[in-house]
Amino acid sequence: MELCRPPLPGSYLLKLIPDPETMWYRNILWISLLFLSPAEKSKWVVNENSSLTVNGTTNINKFSCEIPSYDQTDTLTLVRTGKDIVLSGKIGLAIQSFDCHNSMMTKDLRKTLKEKQFPRLYISFLSLSGFPELTAKPQSITGLVSIELAGTSKRFEINYQVSTDTQKIVHLLGSQDIKFSDFNLIPPRKIGGMIKTNDQLSVEFHLKMKTI
Amino acid sequence: MKKILISGLIAGCILFVLSYGGLFLAIRFFPALFTEYNNPLFNSDGSRDALFYLHAFVFSFALSWFWDRFKGLFKGPFILRGLEFGLVYSVVALLPVMWISFSALDVTIIMVLSWFAYGIMQATIAGIIFAKVNP
Repeated sequence: MELCRPPLPGSYLLKLIPDPETMWYRNILWISLLFLSPAEKSKWVVNENSSLTVNGTTNINKFSCEIPSYDQTDTLTLVRTGKDIVLSGKIGLAIQSFDCHNSMMTKDLRKTLKEKQFPRLYISFLSLSGFPELTAKPQSITGLVSIELAGTSKRFEINYQVSTDTQKIVHLLGSQDIKFSDFNLIPPRKIGGMIKTNDQLSVEFHLKMKTI
Repeated sequence: MKKILISGLIAGCILFVLSYGGLFLAIRFFPALFTEYNNPLFNSDGSRDALFYLHAFVFSFALSWFWDRFKGLFKGPFILRGLEFGLVYSVVALLPVMWISFSALDVTIIMVLSWFAYGIMQATIAGIIFAKVNP
């Protein structure tokens, strides 16, 4: 109803409502800005030589379990739009591929991670703090990932080292401390709790990727 | 019956302290011997811990009845009677159980031999207690 009134000189409302010509110019300006800052995009294919290692301790020993190779072909996409850097993609690692260099320990870890119910652990990449320069010198950046283990997902900020080698392979090294309890898993305890696995685990992964 | 229960309870308490105390010290000082226990064959969620710690009493009450029934067969000083009782139990009950355990389960020979030695020790201590408390 206010707008239907004859405009008063110096009315504030009048300034807020642009005329059609101004609207047209404004749209043109936005479209031009979009073209001036195009999205920068990189695609990386995860190589089969990629690996993941989980280090942990019990009250009697240390263990190191690794997935020495990656059995799938997945792609990570890195998109920079202005200040935002989005790293998207998901890798799924088979729990059965874990090798603790001791058959009993390997079986025990697979059982603890509920391999029969949840045969894969997934790492979903979400963002990066900076656009990787992809040089031979490792660059430290951080990024958000979501780890899905035994049916439970949890987000973590990961410290990465990104570099490329002479064969243009992108190396993405990430490490993060996690806990069994983060994923509603119970650390194994044997013979009445006299042998206990500590809740804390250190996860390190080394993705080797080719730019496509 | 009262003698069976009392000697069983006494042996249970002593075995509880010696067995779990000994196990605790063995894990502390010889951790390498216990790494094989990180094996899915062994319960790992703690749901059976109470049963595990009750073992000393189950064992003592069962052996107390066995002792009361056959104590007349063991002659000589109480230490010798206890030792013989422990050896009889080991040959009659432990050895076949260990044999079937090793043949059927994915466990090492060292692990089975340690269980056998642990069982002989427990039965001998229980036998000495029974020979003293319920001669």
